Amino acid sequence: MSQTRIIPYLFIAPAVILFLVFTAYPIFSSLLLSFQTFEAGEYSFTGFDNYVTLFHDEIFHKALMNTFIIFIVQVPIMLILALVLSSVLNSGLLRLKGFFRVSFFLPTVTSLVAYSILFSIMLQEEGIINTVIGFLGIEAIPWLSDSFWAKASIILAMTWRWTGYNMVIFLAALQNISNDMYEAASLDGAGKIRQFFSITIPQLKPVILFAGTLSTIGTLQLFDEPFNLTKGGPADSTMTLGLYIYQNGFEFFQFGYASAIAYIVVVLVGILTFIQFKVAGDR
Amino acid sequence: MEAKTSNRIEPNFHKDTKVTRNKKIPQKLGMYSILMIFLIISIFPFYWMFIGATNDSGKMFTNPPTLTPGDQFMKNFQNLNESINIPQVMFNSLFVSLIYVVAALAVCSLAAYAFAKYEFKGRNFIFTAFLLSMMIPYQATLIPLFRMMSELNLLNTYFAVIAPQLCYPFAIFLLRQNFLAFPTELIEAARLDGAGELKIFLQVVAPSMRPALAAASIFLFMTQWNSFMWPLVVLNDASMYTFPVALSSLMGLSYIDYGQVMMGVSIATIPIIIFFLILQKQFISGMLGSAVK
Amino acid sequence: MKKVKVMSLISIVLIISMLAACSGGSSEKTSKDDKKLTAWAWNINVPVLEAAAERFKKENPGFELEVIEIGREDVYSKLTTGLQAGGQGLPDIVLVEDDRIQGYAESYPKAFLDLSKYGFDEHKDKFPASKTDLLTVNNKVVGFPFDGGPTGVFYRSDIFEEAGVKAEDIQTWDQFVEAGKAIKEKTGKPMLGLDLNNDDGLYRMMMNQQGSLYFDEKDELTLSSQESMNAAKVIKQLKDEGLVKNTVGWDAWISAMVSGEVATAPSGAWLTGSITGQGKDTSGKWGVIPFPAFEEGGNRASNLGGSNYVIMNSTDKKQEAYDFLEFFSTDEETQLEAMKGGLFPTLNTIYDEPIFTEKQEFFSGQPIWSTFTAQMDSIPSVNYTGNYSLAMDESIKAQSESVSGKKTMKEAYKAAEKRLENRIK
Repeated sequence: MSQTRIIPYLFIAPAVILFLVFTAYPIFSSLLLSFQTFEAGEYSFTGFDNYVTLFHDEIFHKALMNTFIIFIVQVPIMLILALVLSSVLNSGLLRLKGFFRVSFFLPTVTSLVAYSILFSIMLQEEGIINTVIGFLGIEAIPWLSDSFWAKASIILAMTWRWTGYNMVIFLAALQNISNDMYEAASLDGAGKIRQFFSITIPQLKPVILFAGTLSTIGTLQLFDEPFNLTKGGPADSTMTLGLYIYQNGFEFFQFGYASAIAYIVVVLVGILTFIQFKVAGDR
Repeated sequence: MEAKTSNRIEPNFHKDTKVTRNKKIPQKLGMYSILMIFLIISIFPFYWMFIGATNDSGKMFTNPPTLTPGDQFMKNFQNLNESINIPQVMFNSLFVSLIYVVAALAVCSLAAYAFAKYEFKGRNFIFTAFLLSMMIPYQATLIPLFRMMSELNLLNTYFAVIAPQLCYPFAIFLLRQNFLAFPTELIEAARLDGAGELKIFLQVVAPSMRPALAAASIFLFMTQWNSFMWPLVVLNDASMYTFPVALSSLMGLSYIDYGQVMMGVSIATIPIIIFFLILQKQFISGMLGSAVK
Repeated sequence: MKKVKVMSLISIVLIISMLAACSGGSSEKTSKDDKKLTAWAWNINVPVLEAAAERFKKENPGFELEVIEIGREDVYSKLTTGLQAGGQGLPDIVLVEDDRIQGYAESYPKAFLDLSKYGFDEHKDKFPASKTDLLTVNNKVVGFPFDGGPTGVFYRSDIFEEAGVKAEDIQTWDQFVEAGKAIKEKTGKPMLGLDLNNDDGLYRMMMNQQGSLYFDEKDELTLSSQESMNAAKVIKQLKDEGLVKNTVGWDAWISAMVSGEVATAPSGAWLTGSITGQGKDTSGKWGVIPFPAFEEGGNRASNLGGSNYVIMNSTDKKQEAYDFLEFFSTDEETQLEAMKGGLFPTLNTIYDEPIFTEKQEFFSGQPIWSTFTAQMDSIPSVNYTGNYSLAMDESIKAQSESVSGKKTMKEAYKAAEKRLENRIK
């Protein structure tokens, strides 16, 4: 019996050792760093100075606000799109499912080098996106140079990149809802849309929550899009927490300050995830 | 066992008797048009990337944009090969990614199995710690990790590239959810037959978890294949570069050969698509277990 | 007990593979004994370094240089990481740009080798003062000068011709604006592409031209100075007159020029490499004029960009690295090779070479290099300071607010100066 008690520990041992060395130690070390300030090549302990500075840092506040706006707008749009796409793909009427599935998943695997070049060309004022909407009679949009539209561009680009990822997660879950439920519903006279809201969504709730949590983590650490498309501009309107951490560390050499921001992010992700679970749980 | 039946991808609506054929046509049309719009949006940048790879450098920037394939395919390929030694980089990337997938799968699936099927002290604490660690932005831990690698004299090794991500919480989470769905009775039956714990895992549990493992493999492969910042800082030898690092080295200041760059990103995208295609069917059913729990 | 054995076997295998990976070791440790140097550089600099190493080898048998090609931005990521980790994993030689070098030298005072201790001072007069001043940080010489970015206005001669405007007549910024209006009227094309929300390159060139940058020589902020207002005013004027095409990011900027959407590009000499490379079809449609002055007869020399080679203090081959870079920086053949790649050398002993007066086909037969060499001695020295990146961040915001009309020009720059003061204290 004592032997079986050891077994699970042996099973998790490799993971725990790797975790302690390569994850926990750096995290702890950067936590220490967040109480230090870098001056002329040396670090010195300055207590909560970084956190106090953070409290008064306007750019940080802006980054917080921007990240929050992007989070509130982008995550629901993306999850809804992913839900719609996966439901359509799942609805038996179609040919070429595999083809569509791969195509929608493709954006997730783009290399960042290509992503930043292509999107910055497409989003120019005379770029292809404005040309297309011009055909629809819409005036050219200053995608990257207006503070409202720059945020919209970030949201668009993120949605393009990650919808397919979530779609695949949902698609998988959809396979698991038994046909009987839909049949019963349609016998009761419920239309497709009713079925979607009364069967599909409730059945998918745990998965939606799972995808929501992943997206929350992703959004609060958001870095690639603003870094490659707007550099946080115009006037910090697309500055995000992830980008601000990077800038403070790699451009201003204030890794202590950068770490402090990172820990604020951790607390926020924790709170938001908790809220998501609460909201989902109460329904 | 759910995992097995779900291998067949069953359409949900095909038995829908109420909908007549005539009614289906406009509905179908609507669905296809939604799909086509999204298809174009999803694929267009890739198409353009390919166009860029077959054209001369400046052609990406003409207005209106060049949207037809050019004849510079071979030239761009040769130039790229001169700049980054494609076979070498491809080998490095594949080597690192595949070794990583196998090793991480071993580490993560064992841990996930323990979290799912054993009761032990500290289980929830450790599991929560793993998940919480996902929330730390990597920019914050990069420097301490680098310093540690350098003190261990591990800089410029593939081990240093792979090791930090071997314990990958998302994969553990995904796999654990699937293992939870595995009937405990089967494990106990095997135990009564006198099978060892590891043997039970390898011979009884793991085989039926192939879809879940495939799913995890895709995420792991993608993570490693596209990983950029960490390999960049850890590798100091151009002959060890992986694709993202090598491609980024093409980005100079005053002159960038976009034909080459687009050729490079096109090539770098191919293996990951193949990997996805091979595993996608299993992947889709593999997500199942994690989904419903 | 069997399972325990199996598990310990697995653990052992894991540990062994770890050890095996360790013993693979890092290449810089194994190469400690030989004379091989390592350098980090990007792009066109790589073949230039390699060719120079070949020549150096003839006099110094056994010398070897390994150049590792790394993207420009990536070099800084790696350099910063290595310096933060206390000088770990760094090469012997690194290429660092003008606008970054003081930031590194001040933030990491022990990072770079002090070249004056190795005798660099004897070469000082071979380079323009603007460059050697830049490289002198806290009385140490922190790097070898390499290329520079003397400025000029690159223009599309076809567009100017179409509009009937003579580029050579542009002497001042006022005339530049006027010419822009005429071109806009006749051809409908904007005068220049600017990334007003993300870059302030034009502002920096204008500031440098007037003798300072974000800080004067006493480290005082200059964002709200008269010079700053002069520069900001021209930029706002250009924008208000509709002469600016807003190009976001480098790719779009280059694209606008080679596709003939804008008439000019005020920039550093190194732009030659980009436009000849990206716009092969536009040969013969280009020209270069010197930077316009703020008043008639005013200074027309300025600088944008340029780079330098530093020796890392962490290397144990300081003398070898110094000897090689001394050769590299003063070797005329090397500098001429760099020029072929579009880099403009700062080594002034070569300015009498024929190439500097040769007519360039791409630029409608204009001997463009002489336009640049003419100003080398008049480029004002600039105090970048360690807070350059922060200052640039605020300057760009001020520019963005000023041109968008959200704030008046003065308010925008005053506010930015204030924010900057808070951020650097």
